[in-house]
Amino acid sequence: MKKTESISIAQEAPETSGSARPGGLRKALSFSNISAIYIFIVLFAVFAIITPKTFLTAGTWLVLLDAQSITVLAAIAVLIPLVNGVFNLAIGAEVGFAVILVAVLQTKLQLPWGIAIPLTILVGALIGIVSGLIITKGKIDSFIATLGMSSILLAGLAFLSENRQIIGLEDGFRLFATGGLPLDPNNPNFKLTNPVFIMLLVAVVVWYVLERTPIGRRMYAAGYNPDGARLSGVNVGRLQVASLVAGGIIASLAGVLLASRINAGDPTVGPGLLLPALTAVFLGSTQFKGGRFNVWGTVISVYVLAVGIKGLQLLGAQNWVSDLFNGVALLAAVGLSRYERTARRGSAIRRATPRFGRSKTPTE
Amino acid sequence: MTDDTTTTGPAAAPAPRDTAPLLRIEGMIKDFPGNRALDEVSLDVHSGEVVAVVGHNGSGKSTLVKILAGVYTSDGGEVELSSRDGMDTELHIIHQDLGLANELTAVENLGITHYQGAASFAPFDRKKERAKARQLIGRFGEPFDVDVPISRLAPAQRSIIGIARALDGWQHPRNVLILDEPTEALHATEVRVLFDAVKKLAADGAGVIFISHRLDEVLDIADRVVVLRDGRKVADESRSSLDHDRLVSYVTGIPVGEAEHGENARVHGEVVLEITGLTGAILEDVDLRVSAGEVVGVAGVLGSGRETLPAMIFGSIDADVDSFTLAGKPYLKRSPGESIRRGAAFVPGDRAKLGSVRLMTARENVTLPELKTLTNSLGGISLGKEREHAETLIRTYDVKPPRSEQTFAQFSGGNQQKIVFAKWLRNKPRLLLLEEPTQGVDIGAKQAIYDAIDNAAEGGAAVLVCSSEAKELVRLCDRVLVLREGRIAAELAGDELTETRLVIEGYGLKSEDAP
Repeated sequence: MKKTESISIAQEAPETSGSARPGGLRKALSFSNISAIYIFIVLFAVFAIITPKTFLTAGTWLVLLDAQSITVLAAIAVLIPLVNGVFNLAIGAEVGFAVILVAVLQTKLQLPWGIAIPLTILVGALIGIVSGLIITKGKIDSFIATLGMSSILLAGLAFLSENRQIIGLEDGFRLFATGGLPLDPNNPNFKLTNPVFIMLLVAVVVWYVLERTPIGRRMYAAGYNPDGARLSGVNVGRLQVASLVAGGIIASLAGVLLASRINAGDPTVGPGLLLPALTAVFLGSTQFKGGRFNVWGTVISVYVLAVGIKGLQLLGAQNWVSDLFNGVALLAAVGLSRYERTARRGSAIRRATPRFGRSKTPTE
Repeated sequence: MTDDTTTTGPAAAPAPRDTAPLLRIEGMIKDFPGNRALDEVSLDVHSGEVVAVVGHNGSGKSTLVKILAGVYTSDGGEVELSSRDGMDTELHIIHQDLGLANELTAVENLGITHYQGAASFAPFDRKKERAKARQLIGRFGEPFDVDVPISRLAPAQRSIIGIARALDGWQHPRNVLILDEPTEALHATEVRVLFDAVKKLAADGAGVIFISHRLDEVLDIADRVVVLRDGRKVADESRSSLDHDRLVSYVTGIPVGEAEHGENARVHGEVVLEITGLTGAILEDVDLRVSAGEVVGVAGVLGSGRETLPAMIFGSIDADVDSFTLAGKPYLKRSPGESIRRGAAFVPGDRAKLGSVRLMTARENVTLPELKTLTNSLGGISLGKEREHAETLIRTYDVKPPRSEQTFAQFSGGNQQKIVFAKWLRNKPRLLLLEEPTQGVDIGAKQAIYDAIDNAAEGGAAVLVCSSEAKELVRLCDRVLVLREGRIAAELAGDELTETRLVIEGYGLKSEDAP
């Protein structure tokens, strides 16, 4: 007889960590639950030993915190649709489009930045609605739909920018991303910048909505099992559109911050965010929540990846190392979460069938 | 061998046979969590013989086929294929869904299994392939167009392609062919064509296993009939010693002529659900009325429309109606969300795909349809309140282990179903729609679920139970509607509501007992 394993290879049964259960603390601190934090510690130790002069300075860390806060926003913009079972591969293009749009509105249309920013964010929401309707009403797979949207947005971006940097933005706009809370009165550059606060605010709000409200609960259900969720009264299509709108708003916010920080509409900066954002979301799903996409896992993962890349660059690695690092990390993160699921599945099955022998011997 | 009181042992098949069977299955066991799907089932097939395997859904028929196909691994037992004069007997299986690619032509579908290994890269000889396809199909009667996507062909023609493919490339005729519910999609005349082909094969020396729940067809084609019930072989008899009534009694487990009916004396209230002229998918012009406190059953074989009826009432599958009243109010544009708001609940038959979110915890599953009552002033879910609520429900419905934070998928089938019931009964629905409420559930959980249904009815819910299990309907229902080919063929209540009558009406059998 063939002995083909028949149980579905689809997602299976991670055990959700419950702190009320005995051994909760040990489990919460276990490697599989917070591996990213352990990796972070290892990376930190390694680089601190190899390049203590540059790596251990507070300046390096503040720059990292500031620079990556925009990646975190992009990652959250990927995360929300993904919770609903929707891939958004247009995230890089959405950020890039917002970078150019907010600059063009100020230069070509001479709008004050106080109007250009909300307009850009509104356009981000509209892009989300369009993507969402293509996916839900047009019944086009999200992977393909957002890939198409991405290409269209890149074309629009090139058209608006004529493939050139757009400069000459207002000073007030520049302060939007570069202003912040100074930590050292003697050194004005030594500060926690606005993007860090905005990122934290967005993360807290999204965390609350996803994990503490009925709408978030329904979003997770819609992502895990759309048909089952529908029968429980969840309007899956509407939630998917809403998730893309939320993602679009956050992505264009990231684009605005990016344009403000570099003080120009640079057509090249947005698209590169897709890979680190996607990687962080998948790596984040292996953290804290046993296979569930979640905000804090995503935030931590962005920084773990960034620290790894930063350390390698301080060691003198070339620029391409970040692509290599992100690519390997993405594959490892997805592979790891898959492995965890299958390993747990095996033990779940064994637990469920304690009494029955699994021998192949004839019973005569 | 299985020793059961009703087993009369293998009787002589009409065709002369060799001493060794082509296929021998001995003491086959298959366990699912909390449920033994096959319990030491033995079966053999000789050359020239058509053996029918019959039984209700859940009797173990499809599990047996899946083990033979290698889809499941058995938990004990032996399968042996004979070998004679250097010719090994091969096992060919035609699955219920045929496994054809609907967008490809007949020629392409038949060609898939040709050219293995390096030959896969050789150019495709269109002429030769087409001629071969015509020849293969020609063995089964009327030829048809082999160059159009098979989705445009009639169901019977597709079945023929499936069979032709299974028969392609046989080195010798002494192989075993297994047909799993092959007549599901066919009309009577098409069944004729199929049966002629099968009989011809057997006459050439093949051994055929014919899996079906259509008893009249079985009696038409089989030389020998094996009956499975609850995973056990309960009969293995030659066709000549069987008639309708005996076969029905084997399938149901109730001796011929014995009356059996449930004793349900419930008090009914006002009408909760009233539908006229429901039409959609296979269903045609179905009228339905369920009162508060009443349990109405819907019976019918697979394909009778029984499977889609509750989903159509709930609004997850579209259907047209002449009128539809729920709790006294007209309700024409239906959707699951609106149905829930109006007090309906739906426990679908497919627990894994439709009834639950497997990767969420028991707590999250239970509260999903209605979270409003668990929110705090900020509009957020009060986790403490939610957990307390979930744990109360888990205790009430005796879910084991009683852990609200365990992932749904990690519970056994019976306990999963208890969670699904808890999820829907927690808000005291006015209308409870149930589809196969105890499928894949062990005996203990079954009793608990029956109690839950009784209690819901006693509490004033109108209950509609769609089930393939006659015994269950007799146990639960005040009244049962029998669907056949999309229409209500009979309505049974009181003394008439017996398992035997349900089977007879469901299959549309002629019986001397039937009035």
